[in-house]
Amino acid sequence: MYHLKPQSQVIFITFPNGMPPVLKPTTTPVGTTMSSESSKKRKPKVIRSDGAPAEGKRNRSDTEQEGKYYSEEAEVDLRDPGRDYELYKYTCQELQRLMAEIQDLKSRGGKDVAIEIEERRIQSCVHFMTLKKLNRLAHIRLKKGRDQTHEAKQKVDAYHLQLQNLLYEVMHLQKEITKCLEFKSKHEEIDLVSLEEFYKEAPPDISKAEVTMGDPHQQTLARLDWELEQRKRLAEKYRECLSNKEKILKEIEVKKEYLSSLQPRLNSIMQASLPVQEYLFMPFDQAHKQYETARHLPPPLYVLFVQATAYGQACAHMKSSSQPPRQDKTLSVAIEGSVDEAKALFKPPEDSQDDESDSDAEEEQTTKRRRPTLGVQLDDKRKEMLKRHPLSVMLDLKCKDDSVLHLTFFYLMNLNIMTVKAKVTTATELITPISAGDLLSPDSVLSCLYPGDHGKKTPNPANQYQFDKVGILTLSDYVLELGHPYLWVQKLGGLHFPKEQPQQTVIADHSLSASHMETTMKLLKTRVQSRLALHKQFASLEHGIVPVTSDCQYLFPAKVVSRLVKWVTVAHEDYMELHFTKDIVDAGLAGDTNLYYMALIERGTAKLQAAVVLNPGYSSIPPIFQLCLNWKGEKTNSNDDNIRAMESEVNVCYKELCGPWPSHQLLTNQLQRLCVLLDVYLETESHDDSVEGPKEFPQEKMCLRLFRGPSRMKPFKYNHPQGFFSHR
Amino acid sequence: MKHQTSTLPFLSVFLEPPMGMHGQVLAAAKEAEVFQALQRLHMTIFSQSVSPCGKFLAAGNNYGQIAIFSLSAALSSEAKEESKKPVVTFQAHDGPVYSMVSTDRHLLSAGDGEVKAWLWAEMLKKGCKELWCRQPPYRTSLEVPEINALLLVPKENSLILAGGDCQLHTMDLETGTFTRVLRGHTDYIHCLALRERSPEVLSGGEDGAVRLWDLRTAKEVQTIEVYKHEECSRPHNGRWIGCLATDSDWMVCGGGPALTLWHLRSSTPTTVFPMRAPQKHVTFYQDLILSAGQGRCVNQWQLSGELKAQVPGSSPGLLSLSLNQQPAAPECKVLTAAGNSCRVDVFTNLGYRAFSLSF
Repeated sequence: MYHLKPQSQVIFITFPNGMPPVLKPTTTPVGTTMSSESSKKRKPKVIRSDGAPAEGKRNRSDTEQEGKYYSEEAEVDLRDPGRDYELYKYTCQELQRLMAEIQDLKSRGGKDVAIEIEERRIQSCVHFMTLKKLNRLAHIRLKKGRDQTHEAKQKVDAYHLQLQNLLYEVMHLQKEITKCLEFKSKHEEIDLVSLEEFYKEAPPDISKAEVTMGDPHQQTLARLDWELEQRKRLAEKYRECLSNKEKILKEIEVKKEYLSSLQPRLNSIMQASLPVQEYLFMPFDQAHKQYETARHLPPPLYVLFVQATAYGQACAHMKSSSQPPRQDKTLSVAIEGSVDEAKALFKPPEDSQDDESDSDAEEEQTTKRRRPTLGVQLDDKRKEMLKRHPLSVMLDLKCKDDSVLHLTFFYLMNLNIMTVKAKVTTATELITPISAGDLLSPDSVLSCLYPGDHGKKTPNPANQYQFDKVGILTLSDYVLELGHPYLWVQKLGGLHFPKEQPQQTVIADHSLSASHMETTMKLLKTRVQSRLALHKQFASLEHGIVPVTSDCQYLFPAKVVSRLVKWVTVAHEDYMELHFTKDIVDAGLAGDTNLYYMALIERGTAKLQAAVVLNPGYSSIPPIFQLCLNWKGEKTNSNDDNIRAMESEVNVCYKELCGPWPSHQLLTNQLQRLCVLLDVYLETESHDDSVEGPKEFPQEKMCLRLFRGPSRMKPFKYNHPQGFFSHR
Repeated sequence: MKHQTSTLPFLSVFLEPPMGMHGQVLAAAKEAEVFQALQRLHMTIFSQSVSPCGKFLAAGNNYGQIAIFSLSAALSSEAKEESKKPVVTFQAHDGPVYSMVSTDRHLLSAGDGEVKAWLWAEMLKKGCKELWCRQPPYRTSLEVPEINALLLVPKENSLILAGGDCQLHTMDLETGTFTRVLRGHTDYIHCLALRERSPEVLSGGEDGAVRLWDLRTAKEVQTIEVYKHEECSRPHNGRWIGCLATDSDWMVCGGGPALTLWHLRSSTPTTVFPMRAPQKHVTFYQDLILSAGQGRCVNQWQLSGELKAQVPGSSPGLLSLSLNQQPAAPECKVLTAAGNSCRVDVFTNLGYRAFSLSF
């Protein structure tokens, strides 16, 4: 019935009308089998047309253009579904009929039946093909229907989205509108003058009544302008008032200065009137005045002043009771410095607060003025920290030979320590030997008055922290300028800095000062006397004379041949570098507070060098000698037992050389003893038999034996009245 | 402005107790400290002796003090600085302690003219007193002669003393009496040595002679005047014999003359040891000769005269060596050397100074 054009996957069926269809017995219902088969077969086709619609289209258009190709899709459009349905119904009926006929024939049986059945089968096959075709068409229609529905749905969705966007835009615009409606200007908060006042007072170039009367916006602007104008004027006025105030303050300042300068002038008038008072025999009560001054001393200096005065008077009393009264006192005390400065520092308590704030302000000013460099600022701070109290206490200690030790005590206010500067003056002019340079120098005369008290470090442990702040490494760099903060000075001022338990505030204590006063004064006197004695001795030592006093004469034989030829001072570093002083350095006896000398003793070709350590505590601590003999090679304590013995004779057995108390003769006696020892050493040196000629040093000393003991000691010990030498 | 003080109305402050010896006490302490440092610096240790138990070492110095060191404590693994200090120090003599020897119970020490005996067992306690004190019969002299050498003769339980009076005195340890006097030296005697096999004693002295004495006959049997032999004579150093040691056939001696090994029977010098500095102590040890003297080192010599080793000690000069060979304390087998310092150097083996004991 249908003329189907040959195409790739379509099954072509020819209608061989002449040939009877052969029906094979089938068990399964034909319809179901066919439909499942057809769906299976059709599937690739559908997919194919789906997968390549463009091709399909082209195919379709190709069909339309050329009419050559067969396209089922195109065919669908051409056919009426209603008629297809009719066709379907008809085909089904036909099939049913044919099936019934076949049934019939089969049940009847017979020979020719087979041919007829074949015929029927062919017919029914044709019907099946028709059904199949219809089925395909139905599928295509369904798909088409679906596609259309989908397309329509997408369109609807797009429209919906557009609608949503528009709605949102509308909402946003509405919000903006309400915001704009709600806007408030700042000027509304400003309290403006009332409208009537404005028109009455504002100049017309601001109010512009003709413009602003009608326009409320312009009116408000004009009113704001007016407000601004008025405020500017008020600010100007305020500034004027301030400068006025400044001026008045300055005036007050000037007047104050004038008043304060009045006081010194009055004082100088008083001073000038003093001679008049003296002339008129009505002197000021000196003591009272000093007492007055003492009131302005800081507590430690006050303690020192009181205690020293008391001690001085007690001494004077004791002396006057036992001896005829002397004109000069051993100890005199005086106060030096400007009392006014002290007063300025130390005001009565009711003024103190003002004072403090003033000084604070001053400090601020100074720091402001000197901000530019950090160094200057630090320097300033250091100066401030090391500031001395303007008042100082002078102590003059007279010794027996009319030499005076002048001590000036200062108080460092910010460090809470006391320092002292010392000076020695003698009754007669001293010829200063070169080697005695350091003996009486202010820097060293009082060094180690008490053991280890070299006065280079601050005794107040709290100071170290203060120093750290302003970058002071040690106080020793400032000691020459400030004076030495010896421990005994603190004690005299009643200041005690316990190492174990640092106290918050150190209070000047009278009893502490009193307990140290006598000992210290005695030590000071001993020190000055021993230094003066050394001073004198050095003068003659430099001339090669070892002065031996008559009361020490018994220590030495009458004839001493070795002579001192040189006595010079050496630097600590040079002493340390000498090759024969290592033992002393290693034993820690060569500290830098000691004084160092070099002596040269000669006899003939023998030269004995002696390096001397003079402890500042001389003469209670003996000088220490190290020897080096240049004679037949260099001999020191490391290669000659007898040189070692000589050293120990002067260093260890020094006590017999001390002479009468206070043993100021120790050093010279030791030197003289060295001369004697050198004599003994040289004279007892065993004579080398192989060398011809007489001995250089004939034995003149009387000796019991020349050598003794395993180390072959020489007889260094001198026995006084008999005058012979023996072994120790 | 200067105000002179004339009178002050108040004096009450001064009435507070003017104590304050504090400063003087401090000064005195400092003085004592310096004096002690100087004493230590000028100390010479003349003699050493090991206790019979081998665990203690006695050392005597020029101040007459004897210090007892505990070798076992100083050598133990947990030795501290304190264990290198003396256990006990006491004043034994007025003058230097020149020589010390130990018997199986006693320490005998000799110095200026006297020999004292101390019980080892009691010495470690504080406040020890000497057991006895003897003085050899000296011919009267202005000064008391010193005793430089002590020598024990175990066979006859006697002690030989020699020193300043140029004589050897033998003392019976049983009774404490001086039995013999051997005269011959013309100057004082430095050192003694015992020939173990025959009861003969060698002595060397300042006069430069080594004399051999027969104890049975109390006679001098041989004299070697060392300085007269050219090989070892050193006139610039003097002729004195400072040290002496013997192993019966051989004798080594030194001092002013060079350190020399002698064959005794033929009395000929066989080896002269090349050492410039005078030697103060010499001893045989196994097949070596140990010597010490001027200079820091302990010298070890082969018998052929080769210097085997020089081990530096801490003192600038050495006066005595002591080998602790007590079988009772094998762990304390050390060599100790002392001299011109306050330290006794301890050598745990011959080649190395381990540490120093110090006064």
